[in-house]
Amino acid sequence: MEDHSHHHVMDAVGVVMNENTRKLPRGCDSVSEDVAVTIRAGRRYAADVPGAIFGMSKHELAVPPCSRVTVTFVNEDEIRHQWMVHGLPKYLYPAGMFHIEAAGGGERTGTLIVPAEDRTYLIHCDMAQHMEKGMRGQLVVGRGSGDLWAVPGISDAFYRHPYLPRRGYTAVLIAVALVLGFGGALWLRRRRSA
Amino acid sequence: MSRAGRGPWVALATVLVALLAFPPQWYPDGLRLTLTRWFGAAEYRALPDSRPPAMDMATTMDPAGAEAVFCPEDIAGRRGAQVIDGVAIDAVAGCVADDPYLIAAAVRGTNNVSADTLNRSGLTADAVEKGRDLDGDGDPDEIHIRLEVAELNGGSPLSRQPVTRYDIAPGIEPGLWVFAPKLVGMAVENFESNIARFSLRLPSPAIRVEQGDSVRITLENTHYLPHTLHLHGADHGFVDVTGEGNDGVPITSEVPVMPGFARTYELTPRQAGTMFYHCHVQPHVHVQMGLQGLFVIEENRPDNWLQTLNVGAGQVRVRSVASREGYDQEYDLHYLDLDKQLGERIRRYNDPRLITRSMHRDYDVTDATQDYFTLNGRSFPYTFRESLLVAGPEERVKLRVVNGGAKGMALHTHGHKFTVTHLDGVPRPAAARSAQDVVWLATAQRVDLDLSMVNDGRQSYGPGIWLFHDHQNSGVTNDGIGPGGNISAIVDPAYLGETGWPRTRGVSLAPYFTEAYYRKEVPVWEAYAPGLFSDPGPDRWLLLRLAIVCLCLGVLAALLTGWLRRR
Repeated sequence: MEDHSHHHVMDAVGVVMNENTRKLPRGCDSVSEDVAVTIRAGRRYAADVPGAIFGMSKHELAVPPCSRVTVTFVNEDEIRHQWMVHGLPKYLYPAGMFHIEAAGGGERTGTLIVPAEDRTYLIHCDMAQHMEKGMRGQLVVGRGSGDLWAVPGISDAFYRHPYLPRRGYTAVLIAVALVLGFGGALWLRRRRSA
Repeated sequence: MSRAGRGPWVALATVLVALLAFPPQWYPDGLRLTLTRWFGAAEYRALPDSRPPAMDMATTMDPAGAEAVFCPEDIAGRRGAQVIDGVAIDAVAGCVADDPYLIAAAVRGTNNVSADTLNRSGLTADAVEKGRDLDGDGDPDEIHIRLEVAELNGGSPLSRQPVTRYDIAPGIEPGLWVFAPKLVGMAVENFESNIARFSLRLPSPAIRVEQGDSVRITLENTHYLPHTLHLHGADHGFVDVTGEGNDGVPITSEVPVMPGFARTYELTPRQAGTMFYHCHVQPHVHVQMGLQGLFVIEENRPDNWLQTLNVGAGQVRVRSVASREGYDQEYDLHYLDLDKQLGERIRRYNDPRLITRSMHRDYDVTDATQDYFTLNGRSFPYTFRESLLVAGPEERVKLRVVNGGAKGMALHTHGHKFTVTHLDGVPRPAAARSAQDVVWLATAQRVDLDLSMVNDGRQSYGPGIWLFHDHQNSGVTNDGIGPGGNISAIVDPAYLGETGWPRTRGVSLAPYFTEAYYRKEVPVWEAYAPGLFSDPGPDRWLLLRLAIVCLCLGVLAALLTGWLRRR
């Protein structure tokens, strides 16, 4: 079932879903700070990341607890991209989600107020394979709760291809190392016993 | 006696025990016959019992509960006939129906429907734009369609599970690429799910335009590899008005659309007919991965508001004027076979460089075999959910069929003989038309079929649940396990339950809705002949004898080693 209950502003340029400019999360007496940030998305921002196709200008956004974060999401590609935050408190953000979608060449701005607790939230583009191929980031509130896996420039892939040379080379390398180790140990033992 | 002196006796005793323990059924035949002469036949020893079934088919799925598994409830109310924004949408008799809001938006145009309908359709505001009525006959003739490219059952650096999951049959999730309607928001059902959203699926949508329409199709390449759009069989210029390549063929017409980029293809088709579209980049791989769809050009008629997208193909719920004139129903049937060993490559790696190497250099299509056989993006038993042809007595049904698979197929109907009215979008001369019950479809071939329910002993043998399927043996299996593949059925409404599930009279279909069955773990007749043809359990007596023989061999080896060392 698709859920149509979200607060949702859509036009030809994109969508901002679950925007929140004034409702305070539990534990916040007031908005601690106003943070404005521009995130750019597109092929360009993956150019320096081996194995990535799509990218974002910032893969980590660190903000103080209870801050009001205004994100301007600029899409430099000719296709849709998204900037979504997951795991937010559901009493403020339906499905725990804040979502900006910008059409190709478009930009959209949206605001959210982050919770009071130190926690790291997932940011991603939820187009099929865009997160996997580079558009994955983290929103660190306060001290955060530890890096997420597989954030380009921040943390390693959980499942990482070994990238070993093709079989022949690797087998020779292993064989040489084994022979050297064995021979070296024998040689040392003989020298000591002599 | 000394320890050394005991050795030979121990060895002899061990050999004797081993010989006694050795299973007599494995003695040489000559020896066995000699022993038979001396001692007669061995006494009766019952064969091992059947293993208990992996699941108790009869009791775990009671008939009422089973139907809910077979046929999910239509909570969203998609099946009924309805009018949305003035668009009259036909009912679907089968169990799973397309999203009627998406249909309404595809008929009116995403730029012409109410905000509410557009929102419910899930489409972006520019997904299907309809412009001016160029010939003044009451329907729009400027059509601009935008398609994206989505990967289903792809890989992830975070999970061994596929992402944006889409199952063609229970537990079967081959890696796929599809052209997708431009849908706003997430690729998955919701953020706690990794199942592809309802309208994101195989096959790529069937596209319908009118003869003479000014059609633009923008390919927005949201995928991580290069792609193009090739309009197979549809009248289009080799270049567009600006002189840019328009054929989608990298080696002759244009550079492919790179990830993140878009390109618009143009055509004003002069001839009607059932055509095809597909990616033409490394086509021996990309077409097989699912980047292909039906492209239907309808005859130009007044007030001909077409359902521009038929998501997942299947029943056309808003039909053209010509279809309404000649037929009672129309269905798009898109057949596609898949190679498991190709699809899994997108999951084996996440790095696009490795995926490219694996798919385009390591994979050798000349050594390939097809494992899955889909009709409108699913295989049996899921075809019974969404690809039944439900037609009452006297009805006349138009079928537009494409074989998008890598090999030919022999489409066969039970209980009916159909007539091939069009071949590759071109009408066949009346003299060449005759009733037949098998039609051969080469790869990429299209046929239009006239399927009649008139019970005359030829066109129809009367109401029933009549299968239709590829009559080649592999086509009715899921990776060699039957029933599966592209089996579906022509069903008379009298044989259909209220939920849209056919009132079958044969065996329980429950096993076919388990993943274990297609993992080859369930004996094929277990559900209705429990125990009779099940897997037998082990012969424990034989296992014990084998263990004793091996134990003796071990002792002998130890004795031999000791003897050799002493020497």
